[in-house]
Amino acid sequence: MTTLRAFTCDDLFKFNNINLDPLTETYGIPFYLQYLAHWPEYFIVAEAPGGELMGYIMGKAEGSVAREEWHGHVTALSVAPEFRRLGLAAKLMEMLEEISERKGGFFVDLFVRVSNQVAVNMYKQLGYSVYRTVIEYYSASNGEPDEDAYDMRKALSRDTERKSIIPIPHPVRPEDIE
Amino acid sequence: MAARGHVQDPNDRRLRPIYDYLDNGNNKMAIQQADKLLKKHKDLHCAKVLKAIGLQRTGKQDEAFSLAQEVATLEPTDDNSLQALTILYREMHHPELVTKLYEAAVKKVPLSEEYHSHLFMAYARVGEYKKMQQAGMALYKIVPKNPYYFWSVMSLVMQAISAQDEKLAQTMFLPLAERMVEKMVKEEKIEAEAEVQLYFMILERLGKCVEALDVVRGPLGEKLTSELRSRENKCMMMYQRLQLWPECNALSYKLLLKNPDDWQFYLSYFDSLFHLMDKSWSQPEEGEHCVEGPVQTTVTEAVKFVVDRMEEQDKKESRPLRGPYLACLELIHRLRQRGCPDEKELGDPLELMVQFFGKFGDKPCCITDLKIYLHLLPPEQRSQFKKRLGELVPLGEAGEDGFGFPGDTKALQRHLCVCQLSRALGLQHALDTEGKLRLITELKAHYHHGLQFGKSCLKTELQFSDMYCLMAAHVYVDLWTETGDENMLWQCLGVLEEGLSFSPSNAQFKLLLLLLFCRLGAFQPVVDLYSSLDAKHVQHDTIGYLLTRYAGSLGQFAAASQSCNFSLRFFHSNQKDTSEYIIQAYKYGAFEKIPEFIAFRTRLNQSLHFAQVRTERMLLDLYTEADVTLSLEESVKAMGVCPEEDDIPWDNMRDNRDLTVLVSWDPKDRELTEEHRRLSLEEESVWLKVRSLTLRLLASLALLGHAPSPRNSDKTNENGISAKSSTLQTLLSQLDQTLETAAQITEKQTQYPFLGPPSSRLASALSSGSCHCQASLQVSSRGITSGSFLFPHADLCPSLPSSLSPLRPEMLSRCKGEVLEMKDGRLTTRPSLLETLVFFVETVCVVLWVASYSASVLRPLKSSLQKKKKKKKDSSSAMPVVLCGFQEWTGSLQGVVTQALDHVKGQEASLTALKLAALTLEEGYSQTQEECGFTRAAMDKVQSSYLGSLQELGDLLRKRADSLKSLKI
Repeated sequence: MTTLRAFTCDDLFKFNNINLDPLTETYGIPFYLQYLAHWPEYFIVAEAPGGELMGYIMGKAEGSVAREEWHGHVTALSVAPEFRRLGLAAKLMEMLEEISERKGGFFVDLFVRVSNQVAVNMYKQLGYSVYRTVIEYYSASNGEPDEDAYDMRKALSRDTERKSIIPIPHPVRPEDIE
Repeated sequence: MAARGHVQDPNDRRLRPIYDYLDNGNNKMAIQQADKLLKKHKDLHCAKVLKAIGLQRTGKQDEAFSLAQEVATLEPTDDNSLQALTILYREMHHPELVTKLYEAAVKKVPLSEEYHSHLFMAYARVGEYKKMQQAGMALYKIVPKNPYYFWSVMSLVMQAISAQDEKLAQTMFLPLAERMVEKMVKEEKIEAEAEVQLYFMILERLGKCVEALDVVRGPLGEKLTSELRSRENKCMMMYQRLQLWPECNALSYKLLLKNPDDWQFYLSYFDSLFHLMDKSWSQPEEGEHCVEGPVQTTVTEAVKFVVDRMEEQDKKESRPLRGPYLACLELIHRLRQRGCPDEKELGDPLELMVQFFGKFGDKPCCITDLKIYLHLLPPEQRSQFKKRLGELVPLGEAGEDGFGFPGDTKALQRHLCVCQLSRALGLQHALDTEGKLRLITELKAHYHHGLQFGKSCLKTELQFSDMYCLMAAHVYVDLWTETGDENMLWQCLGVLEEGLSFSPSNAQFKLLLLLLFCRLGAFQPVVDLYSSLDAKHVQHDTIGYLLTRYAGSLGQFAAASQSCNFSLRFFHSNQKDTSEYIIQAYKYGAFEKIPEFIAFRTRLNQSLHFAQVRTERMLLDLYTEADVTLSLEESVKAMGVCPEEDDIPWDNMRDNRDLTVLVSWDPKDRELTEEHRRLSLEEESVWLKVRSLTLRLLASLALLGHAPSPRNSDKTNENGISAKSSTLQTLLSQLDQTLETAAQITEKQTQYPFLGPPSSRLASALSSGSCHCQASLQVSSRGITSGSFLFPHADLCPSLPSSLSPLRPEMLSRCKGEVLEMKDGRLTTRPSLLETLVFFVETVCVVLWVASYSASVLRPLKSSLQKKKKKKKDSSSAMPVVLCGFQEWTGSLQGVVTQALDHVKGQEASLTALKLAALTLEEGYSQTQEECGFTRAAMDKVQSSYLGSLQELGDLLRKRADSLKSLKI
């Protein structure tokens, strides 16, 4: 029981129940506006019948088509504590994957904190696998390196041989990701 | 800006190091390097601009500006200079100058696609829609690319949206935009999805819904592919606008068959169904019902539809969806509203809700779902409902305390949900004190028991049983507010602090603690709590009020100033930030987002909180610093406050506060209503008006002081003063009116839900007497200015002390009393004393500024009189009454301030002497030893926060006492 619709600027005033979570980053306004201006279709919010926001997904399409790196990217996915265990994150991921399919992407990828086991397991259940580890991808608010990230991927139908998800054995540094 | 296209140009190579320095924030080196380069290459304009950027970034705005203008007047056409100037002007908040720059550039290089496009964007940044329209067309003529054409079309739409005259929008701008698109359609030149979106937008705004539908359903609509369900959504929107209920119904039906969990379509399905019934719409005998397929027009069909959906879920092996079951309750609710007896066919709401609980009771959202439909239960069924739900909760054998506990997290969630529902049904509120205390014991027992399930939880995760703890806190608050027993509050703080120790990232614990500490007048612990919430950016606008409402009013001036700064930094970056993304939206063809971004920017600019922090920050600066480091006049000038100017959008104020950020399971009649929201905004606005008028009055007082003394003034000067004095008069009468409104508002004594908006400072300000005292002071400053006192018999003399009199005996006495006290083994607080003391101190500041202004006027008078006296050797005429009056006044002022300081010192001493450790907390029945420990910690925090407030207030009073000494005339 969820209304799924495009995320709008006004939702920024209502998303505290989602964003007061310690693992959900509240970005500066430019960040959200950039996504809304460039990839509005990739920014979807779920709303409960009472009007509460349940969760949202924010993503984009990027990469070179010629090098078969054109793909959908999950920038943020978060569900408010009281709306967890409903499969909402899976539903939102499914939508992002469908949009990426339509755009002819080869795969969908995302970064997740190595320590965020709950999320890592969920993505694995949704068919994602660890493509590589990115060393010190996350930094603390003081700018100090904080934690490594997994770069997780799931191949889309265009990547028939599933080449895009063959894991890279050695970890990479953030400056080496494209 | 380091990334540049063509590197071949030798100038690029020369400029490169400067760019690098600027990019790395090394502005000094950038300036040096630019100077070096300019010695060799005098005409390298770009180096000058880059130097200007360096200057601007090191705070030398004037120098930067004149350097930039040197280049700009040359009307440069090299890319480097143009781009650098664009960056500079944007940083200087002069985006309008960029338009001039490119206007000149396209005149010189009329065929440059790049410069024309920059010109378009420059206009977009400042919202010059008409010029954008022309620039877009000019571009299209040079390079016939579709996006340019549609930029121009969109600029017409923007002219329509921003037109004051709706008629102009409907008869000129939009039709023109429509014709421009139609032309492209006819020539079959439509290429992109964005172009179809824009076409749709135009038709929709014109109210041409039929045409809009044709576009969406026709071949052009096939381009709408990015967004999921884009065509369906747009059709639905138009069906609703056109009241095409058959289509609306059939489409909803279809979409629900595909996704029986999408709530919006249940709503449109039911809406359309009842509209059709009301219109007695009948299906055509033959053929399709409508373009969208079969239409349902009877309650029977709807009931069957919903029942079928539920059965579908029942049969499913995977996790069932909640939608159909809730749709069933929604349908009952709607049928009941219509007085339709058919609701019985769907079943008894009680049974249905019990069934729902059986299926989804172990989901945390079960309470949120069912809460909406609890009104379907008659009051007499409430206890029965709770009992029935209880039967579905597997609990272990009851122990000694009589409580049975869940064996796993699913059972826990179910049990918790029953507690939440019984609270929402008002069953908890109906309990007597004894019953509530027992409930608290039960909730705490469940909380502690449930912690075992979360032993392996990470710090970032919540404990499964956290919500028991929160609910126990809510019941404590109930008891506190009903009985006034402060012990309940202390225990409440204890239980929440304990909860936070097990679940350090629980935002709800933090928010409630924060609110309670504020209510207790203890701001210090709030600072850490708020910062651990990691609230950022837009959150400063939505929940920043939790901080700013209390910091200053509790005398924590440093913290108050910092809290305002957090918010102000966010608001100030907004204007520049949003403009850039409006431009991006043009580039990417996200036309629908453009009006949205503009509305968003306006919403932030008109934010109540923005106006509040803007005003409070300046008042704080004045109260704490003016006449201490800088004079009042210098302070006012530095802030740029102009008494004549009112920059607050009173008629369009937006309340962006998130007033439901604290979770509540209270019954409907205790929840926050729209009326509460309205009243809270009204109250806050009036308080803001009082504050903003106070600020402007202080500014006008400061500028009065700037005027030459009346004695020496010629005619023009006198006019200058009388103009200022009339501003003062206007502001004073506005303040009078506002205070009248304020009195009416406080008479209403609006009570908001505890977890809703805090009351404004209005009521305590009025009862402290500070507003009226400050107003009358300002009146007397006006009296001084009018010059009437120049005659020795003028009545200023009595008026000065009398305007001060409210301050003297009453205001200070209202502050007296123990803010924290141990009595009969209990700890009691009186935080209102702190608030009143703050108002008193603020008033002392105003008194001193008025006094200091009076002194500046009286000093020359006195010296002139002395001269005359010497000449005439007239021993009979003594000092004029006004001068003795003034001295008497400052003398008494000295007395009041000394008294106040003594009071603060006394409070500090008794607070320090208070040994909270001596307090015995009842362990055992009501609190465990650990909880007592947390309660004690909370008490210590309150005590130390009070001390902190008193110290800050004492420091400020001492500073003011010092400045009193300089008031001798």
